[in-house]
Amino acid sequence: MRTRDTNKEDLVKQKAIEILVKLGIEGFGMNRLAKECGVSVATLYIYYNDKDDLIKKTGIEIGQNFFSEMTKGFLPTMSFKEGLRKQWENRARFALKHPLKVACWELLSHSSYRENILNESLSEFKVIMTNFFNNAIEKKELIPISKEVFWSIAYGPLYSLLRFENEGKNFSGAPFKLTQKATDEAFELVIKALTP
Amino acid sequence: MENIINNILIFATNIKTKNDKEKISTELNENPEIIQWNIDQEDIDCVLRIVSETISEEQIINILNKHNFNCTPLE
Repeated sequence: MRTRDTNKEDLVKQKAIEILVKLGIEGFGMNRLAKECGVSVATLYIYYNDKDDLIKKTGIEIGQNFFSEMTKGFLPTMSFKEGLRKQWENRARFALKHPLKVACWELLSHSSYRENILNESLSEFKVIMTNFFNNAIEKKELIPISKEVFWSIAYGPLYSLLRFENEGKNFSGAPFKLTQKATDEAFELVIKALTP
Repeated sequence: MENIINNILIFATNIKTKNDKEKISTELNENPEIIQWNIDQEDIDCVLRIVSETISEEQIINILNKHNFNCTPLE
């Protein structure tokens, strides 16, 4: 009789993310995953139909984690500045806590799995963020711009700073640490750019 | 899901191509004992996965051998 081992399942999920980030979708294989987890290939196929299924489920789970972290303490009815600050906090926390998940998400959300994964994990989040965006424009707290320009200005600076933090180096190769002061500075500039 | 894991059979096969797959599709589709089946043709072992409450490994092996495919249970 087979029993379900949740520790093993967590290990499989963790290793799947590691291998995907390291070798990409093409380099990812069930055999390698089984070997790295110390389980048989058959065990993997008990839980997943095939490689496709495993990759989709991995992406969807990351999306769901991201979604639940992003909505912590956040409401679409918040004032624009307060809401965006919450998004910055939540996004920075998630990126710093789960760099591998973020890297894997980047990879999968730019692959042929994109539609499937986004639909299954982030459709609700999209609605919340669209409400927030529309509310802010309606309340004249945000200038009317396209969502793409909004996203680029609103989060681009944060993700760039997080990249420095991940690399741990500044432009001249000296150690870099993302401080609250630098974050606040960037945030204020973003607000300045986006508010009427 | 808890109950289903005891009803999954996993085999290494040589069902490599779309054409190969078609040769066994009808028989597997029409077998009333098989709830669901799929083959991971991206995998080197072309893993065949069968969900069934009643069917035995031998029965599956017989079906595949009849169509001249190899079929080895994976443990």
